[in-house]
Amino acid sequence: MVWALRTSLKLKTHNNLNPLMKKNIITLLTLLCVALLITSCENDMPTRANFSSYEFSGLDENGGTWKPVLLSAPTQIAIDAPADVTSSAYLAELASLKSATANLNGTQVEAVEYWTNNPIIRWNEIALELAAKYNLIPGPNADGTYTLPNPANPAGPPSFPFAHPPYTCRMLAYLSVAQFDGLISAWHYKYAFNRPAPYTVDSTIPSAFTKNALPSYPSEGAVVAVVSRDILTAMFPLEKDYLAARAEEHLNSLIWSGSNVASDVEAGKYIGTEVKKIALARAAGDGMKNAQTTKAKSDSMKAAAFARFGWSWDNMESPQRPVGLTPLFGKVKMWNVPTVEEVRPGIPPAPGSPAFEKDAQEVKDFAKNLTNEQRKIANWWSDGLNTYTPPGHWNRFAKEFIIKYEMNPLRSARTFAYLNMAVMDAGISCWDAKYYYHYPRPIQTIPGFKTILGTPNFPSYTSGHSTYSAAAAEVLSYIFPNEANQCRQWAEEAAMSRIYGGIHYRFDAEAGIEQGKNVGTYSVNKAKADGANQ
Amino acid sequence: MMAQTPSDEILMKKYELCVALTYDHGEWNQYWEGTYLRGNENIGTFTRAIMMPMVAAGITDKLNLLIAAPYVQTKSTGGQIAGVEGFQDVSIALKYEIIKKEIGKGNLKLLGTAAFATPMSNYLSDYMPYSIGLGTNEWTLRGILHYQLDKGMYARVAGAHLWRGQTEVERDYYYNNGSYYTTYMDVPNAWNYNATLGTWLFRYALRIEASYMVLKSTSGDDIRPYNSPQPTNKMEVEQVGFFAQYYFKEKLKGLGVLAYYSQVIDGRNIGKSTNIGVGATYQFKVKDSQ
Repeated sequence: MVWALRTSLKLKTHNNLNPLMKKNIITLLTLLCVALLITSCENDMPTRANFSSYEFSGLDENGGTWKPVLLSAPTQIAIDAPADVTSSAYLAELASLKSATANLNGTQVEAVEYWTNNPIIRWNEIALELAAKYNLIPGPNADGTYTLPNPANPAGPPSFPFAHPPYTCRMLAYLSVAQFDGLISAWHYKYAFNRPAPYTVDSTIPSAFTKNALPSYPSEGAVVAVVSRDILTAMFPLEKDYLAARAEEHLNSLIWSGSNVASDVEAGKYIGTEVKKIALARAAGDGMKNAQTTKAKSDSMKAAAFARFGWSWDNMESPQRPVGLTPLFGKVKMWNVPTVEEVRPGIPPAPGSPAFEKDAQEVKDFAKNLTNEQRKIANWWSDGLNTYTPPGHWNRFAKEFIIKYEMNPLRSARTFAYLNMAVMDAGISCWDAKYYYHYPRPIQTIPGFKTILGTPNFPSYTSGHSTYSAAAAEVLSYIFPNEANQCRQWAEEAAMSRIYGGIHYRFDAEAGIEQGKNVGTYSVNKAKADGANQ
Repeated sequence: MMAQTPSDEILMKKYELCVALTYDHGEWNQYWEGTYLRGNENIGTFTRAIMMPMVAAGITDKLNLLIAAPYVQTKSTGGQIAGVEGFQDVSIALKYEIIKKEIGKGNLKLLGTAAFATPMSNYLSDYMPYSIGLGTNEWTLRGILHYQLDKGMYARVAGAHLWRGQTEVERDYYYNNGSYYTTYMDVPNAWNYNATLGTWLFRYALRIEASYMVLKSTSGDDIRPYNSPQPTNKMEVEQVGFFAQYYFKEKLKGLGVLAYYSQVIDGRNIGKSTNIGVGATYQFKVKDSQ
């Protein structure tokens, strides 16, 4: 176009364009080009945490004495003693490692850089991404009925699973607990056998990561790869091939990075396999398979609440969904809280009562006069469909703190394990309250009310965001005391965000924060007694 | 003495000014989720109304400046999501007549338009379908070829490329065939084509047109099943329309009125919208050109 303009300008010059006009047009064009350049500046769009392998703040030499969550003892899983570093078997492996690390191609280098020396981070990111990918609610069939995801036929449609907050917090809990127990076991054997890292045995072996004194048998990376692959495959069956490929790359990268010899990896894989069996056995019997009830059961729970309190919640979608989201998630087995009754919040104010009217009016007032700041807070914490959910959001914060404080994989796994146990317990406690009290949402109690966030398919009291966030903040404040104020402020903001969004009353949020704190404390107390001496 | 848009062949003469106000009412009750046409009872019928003031100024007989500032309002009959309203994107365009040549019994004109649009208010683009705009800078370069017989009938084709930037949203994680840890979403660029057949009647007092328009994004993802659209989506539109504009010649000279109707006939990741519009234009000389 610029060329066309210049040509036509040349043709016209001696007709009706004076030199001044020509100069003006060229100036204008130049300004246009400059403006184009300025407004075209694009921001980076990262797809994962941008960090490199780092030197661990500590090695936790006593990690093998910490109390596992599911294992009866770190020695519950038995592995053979490794071959001595002078043995011909070991020396053959060492030679093999040497040649493998000698000529790495670009793809292999990238894999090592991606997985880093703390692969707990990457597997957590993969878990969050799968949660987002599967966090879609089924739409209605042509006849107005709804078909729900079915684990017996995962392809559906709709695909199994629907990775909603209860499903996602449970997935993360089993993943993190299995990783943690597996690594406690690995740390026990590392220091029991004390076989040094390959680069310590032979200093000509290059290490992609900062060298340290951590014994390398069994491989912690291998434990994590197998546990993560298998737990995530159980949770996301359609991702079996994808997860197998990721784990394969991770396992190979352990050799490419110079961190492990083959027998280190084999021993780690074995521990991973045994731990995942124990974790999935608990999962099979924890009550989740009954959480999404029949309509008959759901209706009976609604009738019980109505008889008890005189109110009940209805789904307000078109067509109406016959059953809410996992009415019996409140009966799933918690990790660290003995009973839901001991953490169940008190009764909310009856719709129509003065206390109710005050908080309902507040929701209406915010909707009418929402500031830009309040709108942003509502959207910031929304974590709804097509995202990693509130549990995922708090895992993201944990990830960022782990990197900031340069935790080793064992301590990273510990962080995620207590975080996700607390968050899952919070979800169970919250869902117990939701379906016990069966409280109607603002769009149900306020006629004609419109909101900037979508109202989810479950009752109002208490707020999931508030409960999850307060429990998570409790654990992260304990593990990262310097971040305690930030975490608690985030939890408060996440709670407020739901009021700004028009989908919760203040009493939902305040009770939820209190509930989350209580539930989280159980996990914190467990952590304080696990031997990590924090 | 003609009102104009960035994609037609009309130019103001030097020192002429045209002010216009149009009202557009668009409605759909079906949308394409990817390439799957569907309804959604939680939206019902979706309405987007646009009030647009526009100014066109003749800088020279061949170069015009156009500025538009649309005000958009959205709402739906179903569901509980709140519609929004506000000033959308201000656009500034320069239209230039590159070539004008007599051919056969008519005139051939080639014009070029360069336009820039940017959001005028802090609206949230990531609130689809209710958001009032895409929330990003947009650069357009368009070529227009117009052949008009002396008798008054004409045919016109136009082609444009739209460069769209990133939009900043109010969350720092989103899914677009993978994880994105950022508040920025990439809005896809697009190609835009128009073909128009029309005629002048009553000694250039009335203009009527039938047109066909296509817009295709060059990249982007599809709306996921029963999920909200996202500014990252690959949008495609195929639309037909009719347009009429009447220019008062004696009394109320300088005033014009216009009306149009358009229907989206095919698409991807957009609503199957029916639009009707009305508008008024007023054209006058700011200064006599000597």
